[in-house]
Amino acid sequence: MKSFKYNSMKWRYFRQTVFFMLVRASALIITLALSGIILYIIVNGIGVISWDFISKPPTDAMTKGGIMPAILGTIYLTVGAIAIGLPLGIASAIYLTEYARQGKIVRFIKVGINCLAGVPSVVFGLFGLGFFVIFLKFGSSILSGSLTLGFLILPTIIGASEEALKSVPQTFREASLSLGVSKWQTTYRIVLPNAMPGILTGSILGIGRAAGETAPIMFTAAAYFTSKLPGSVFDEVMALPYHIYVLATAGTNIEATRPIQFGTVLVLVAVVLGIDLIAIVIRSYMRRNKRW
Amino acid sequence: MEINTIIKLKDVNFYYGSSQALTDISMTFGKNKVTALIGPSGCGKSTLLRLLNRMNDLIDGTRVEGEILFEEKNIYAPDVDPVEIRRKIGMVFQKPNPFPKTIYNNIAYGPKLTGVQTGDLDILVEQSLKQAVLWDEVKDVLNKSAMNLSGGQQQRLCIARALAMKPDILLMDEPTSALDPISTAKIEELIEELKKDYTIIIVTHNMQQAARISDETAFFYIGNLIEYNKTEKIFTKPDVKQTEDYITGRFG
Repeated sequence: MKSFKYNSMKWRYFRQTVFFMLVRASALIITLALSGIILYIIVNGIGVISWDFISKPPTDAMTKGGIMPAILGTIYLTVGAIAIGLPLGIASAIYLTEYARQGKIVRFIKVGINCLAGVPSVVFGLFGLGFFVIFLKFGSSILSGSLTLGFLILPTIIGASEEALKSVPQTFREASLSLGVSKWQTTYRIVLPNAMPGILTGSILGIGRAAGETAPIMFTAAAYFTSKLPGSVFDEVMALPYHIYVLATAGTNIEATRPIQFGTVLVLVAVVLGIDLIAIVIRSYMRRNKRW
Repeated sequence: MEINTIIKLKDVNFYYGSSQALTDISMTFGKNKVTALIGPSGCGKSTLLRLLNRMNDLIDGTRVEGEILFEEKNIYAPDVDPVEIRRKIGMVFQKPNPFPKTIYNNIAYGPKLTGVQTGDLDILVEQSLKQAVLWDEVKDVLNKSAMNLSGGQQQRLCIARALAMKPDILLMDEPTSALDPISTAKIEELIEELKKDYTIIIVTHNMQQAARISDETAFFYIGNLIEYNKTEKIFTKPDVKQTEDYITGRFG
C-alpha cells in the first residue's frame, strides 16, 4: 500500500491565510469603490443642494433653478413601475411555484423570464415606444413609462418571489391543506405572508433599477423640459436620470450646469436609497414574527 | 363489524411514478377505534395514511388504483373534492408544524377559513385546547406566538388545531417520534381519551406504543399488508412469521 503524504500543517496554514487575505481584499475594494463614488458625488453635488433646488423648476434654460419636476416625475414613474411590476411578478411566481405542474412548459417559461432579464434596457425602451406609446396610443406618458419600467423589473421580481415562495416550509402548506383549507386560501393566508419579506428584499433591487434607468423612459415618458406638473397619467414628465443625461449631453451650456448635474445625481441616489429604505422598513416590520 | 366500519379499502394499489408503493391493500378501519400501522421504514404505512385524506395528491406523478370508501363513498371518485375530505379527516404530522401565528390563531385558522364553526370562536378554541389537554398550560398566553411552545406542546397544539375542525377521523403520522418520553406519554394519554369521540389511525415505529394504545394493528412490509388483527393477538400470537420477526426485533 502506498503511503499517503500529508501536506505540512505550515503549508496548509499559509494557504489559508493567503486566501483569507484575497477574499478580504475583494470585499475591501468593493467597499472602497462604492464609497468613493458616493463621496465623489456628495463632494461635487452638495454645493447646489438647497430647498429651492428640490422644490423649484429649472430656470434660465436649465442653467439655474431646481429640479423639482424631475424628482416628482421619477417618484411617479417608480411608484407606477412598482404598482405594475410587483402584483404581476408575484402573481406569476405564485403560478410557477404553487400551481403549475413542474414540467416542460414551466421550464420554458422560466427560460423566457431569464432571457427577459438579460434584455438591454434600451430594447425595453423601444418596445415601450412601439407598443404602449404608439400601438396602444398612450403617448409619451407616465402610464407608458411605468408600464415599460414595470416590465423591465418583472424578471427580478419574479425571481425574488419564486425564491421566497420556495423557502416557505412545505410543512406549512401541508398543515393548512390537511385542515380542509383550500389551496388558494393556503397560498393567500399562509404561504404569501411568510414569503413577503423575501419578496420585498429581492424586489428592492428591481425597484432601485426602475428609478435609475434612463433608456426605457427616454422614448416612453420623459420630457426634455416641462414647466407644468403632470395632471394625469397620460402626461409626460421630467425624470431624474433623463434630466442628468440631458444636462450632461444636450444642455445649452454643459460646463455651466456641471454643479447642477452633480446635484441631480445626488438627489437621484438619495431617492433610490429612500425607496430602498421604505422597503427595508416594511420588510423588517413583516419579519418580526418570522421564526423558522 | 360492518356497521362499525368507517373506512374500507378495496384492492388499493399506489404508485410513485413507475414504482409501486402499495400492492393490493384491502382492509377496513373500525369506527372509534385506534388502529396502528406498523412496519419497517419504506413499507408504505405513511403512504397509506396519506392516501386516506388525499394528501398524496400534492405529489406530482402519483397514481391510485382501487377504491377507498369513506362513509360508503369512494374518496377518489372524480366528483369528490379533496378539500372536503380533508375537512372531515384531520391529520397530525411527524414533526410539530404550528403556523407562525399566535396560539389562538393557530386553532381558529381552519374553522375561520372553512366557515364550519358554529357559535363563538373563543369557545371553540377553548374546547379544542382542553380536548388536547393544553388549555391549562396556554390559557394565559393565547396571543403569544405558537413558536414559543415546547415541541410536545406544539404537537398537542397541532392536535387541537385538527380537532377544531371537528373531524370524524384523526390520522397521526408518527406523532411522537420527534418528542421526549414525557411528551410522548402525554400524547398517548390524549389518544386514549380521544378514542371515545374519534376514529384514530396512527403510524408508529414504536412497538410498545402500538401495543399500548391501539385496538387493532396492521403490519406492512414492502407495500403489502402482511397481517391485520386485534392488537393483543398481533403482539402475543401473530399468525405470520414475518410479523413475529418484526415485533420481536429480528428485523426492521
